[in-house]
Amino acid sequence: MSKRLSITLLTAPAMIVLLGVFLIPMLLMLLLSFQDENQAFSLENYSLFVQDPFYLQILWRTIRVSLWTVLATLVLGYPVAMYMAQATGKMRGIVTMLILAPHLISVVIRNFGWVVVLGEKGWINEMLLALGIIEQPLRLLYNELGVVIGLTDSFIAYMVLALATSMYAIDPSLNKAAAILGASRVRTFFSVTLPLSLPGIVAGTTLVFSLSMSAFVTPALMGGTSVKVMPVIAYEQIMSTLNWPLGAALSFLLLASTIVLVTLYTKLVETKRYKEVFAS
Amino acid sequence: MKKLNITGLITFLVLLLVNLPFLVIIPSSFTAAGYLAFPPEGFSWQWYTMILDRPEFIDSFWTSLKLAAITAVLATFLGTLAAFALSKYKFKGSGAINALMLSPLTVPSLIIGISALLFFTRIGIAGTFTGLLLAHILISIPYVVRLVLTGLSSFDYTLEKAGYMLGAHPFRVFWDITLPLLRPAIVSGMIFSFLTSFDNVTVSLFLVAPDTTTLPLAIFTYMQETLDPLVASISSVVILLSLVFIVLLEKVYGLERLFGLNSQSH
Repeated sequence: MSKRLSITLLTAPAMIVLLGVFLIPMLLMLLLSFQDENQAFSLENYSLFVQDPFYLQILWRTIRVSLWTVLATLVLGYPVAMYMAQATGKMRGIVTMLILAPHLISVVIRNFGWVVVLGEKGWINEMLLALGIIEQPLRLLYNELGVVIGLTDSFIAYMVLALATSMYAIDPSLNKAAAILGASRVRTFFSVTLPLSLPGIVAGTTLVFSLSMSAFVTPALMGGTSVKVMPVIAYEQIMSTLNWPLGAALSFLLLASTIVLVTLYTKLVETKRYKEVFAS
Repeated sequence: MKKLNITGLITFLVLLLVNLPFLVIIPSSFTAAGYLAFPPEGFSWQWYTMILDRPEFIDSFWTSLKLAAITAVLATFLGTLAAFALSKYKFKGSGAINALMLSPLTVPSLIIGISALLFFTRIGIAGTFTGLLLAHILISIPYVVRLVLTGLSSFDYTLEKAGYMLGAHPFRVFWDITLPLLRPAIVSGMIFSFLTSFDNVTVSLFLVAPDTTTLPLAIFTYMQETLDPLVASISSVVILLSLVFIVLLEKVYGLERLFGLNSQSH
């Protein structure tokens, strides 16, 4: 069998699926987003976005919720990654398992668990009421806080993975050297560990931001009808209003905003000095 | 006690938080009360027996199981073949094909779902099991390709050569040498595809019809209307099933390695 024939035979089946379920459909969707109700070419679906403050507000809310999620996963995930980098053999395995395994279990089910915990008659409220700390149940669900909690739980594993990968690469003898030179643990953290984990921070924050921007299930389940984000609006346009061109345009606008923001952010962080240090 | 510092404390807290949903769901499913409560009131199997009276959950469970199983087999087959071509041959456009194979991972599920619905409506397979299956294969292929490529990157081709030199037929070499050596990567690709398909909501959302609904979607829809211990009992069943597959993954491949966390520094 010739090399060319082998390559074709081996890659063709997967390529057919990619073409038929991914490339052609995406192209069609892009074309559709430029159509008005008479199927003529139009920028209407996109210009609506700039003109109507309603959509801009929703985009801003999507960005805001995503930024909070990035912050929460970073603050909570960083110590976990640090712990994993310090831990040895068995302990590291246990921590890895306990942080990654839930990530492989349905997001709908995890969100359900949080609804039980955070609801008005949920565990937290019942406990706080019983202890007399609050008199009225707190509103922890069906608002932006609820969405951020849900998203943080969904994506923290990605953050920890990105951070841990870059922390495993830090030579442990650097910490020892800092200690020998008389640096305190805090000083070592800010002068050695934190700067050297920067690639992990960049990778983790961009990943969690992109994932949060396009998350649908968690905002739908934990945000309720009052906290609609871009994916939820796009879904409604397609499945309820049946305005497919608008739904398609909204999805692409969301994707474009995500790409623009992520690009700006990485440009800002990856300065000349950064590239000199982490060039590989 | 030197190790129990702030880092350790926060780690413990985070591990507790990410596992809290399960710690709450499973006990809640055994409540004797008619509503969700934590701590649960009394003990009863009633919410488990009640699942049997809900055909939408039973049917969607079988749909999901069938879908995930077929997806796992086909995605693994297609992905493994492609990974072989990408690893074995250097050819023009291999970089592009490699990038394309992994790209469904980087495009939001929402867009994959909507565009598939759009195209499937035109070619008449929207709302069919076939359409759903094709979409699930698409989203599983990247994982298989990545895992098998990693397996192949450390593959010792001299073993294959040895097989040939001893006079073995190419298929015999493939079956007795190549495949067994790559088995962990291929099997993990299959288990991972199964889990990906079984848990998927966002892509399926656009592609199911009432008679092809998957279990996570049935739970999603039910949850938007009612919250009762029935969701807890069904979820517990799914958690248990997923755990079986996660333990399998850990045994076959190792979760650390699966997620690219296999450092030699310690």
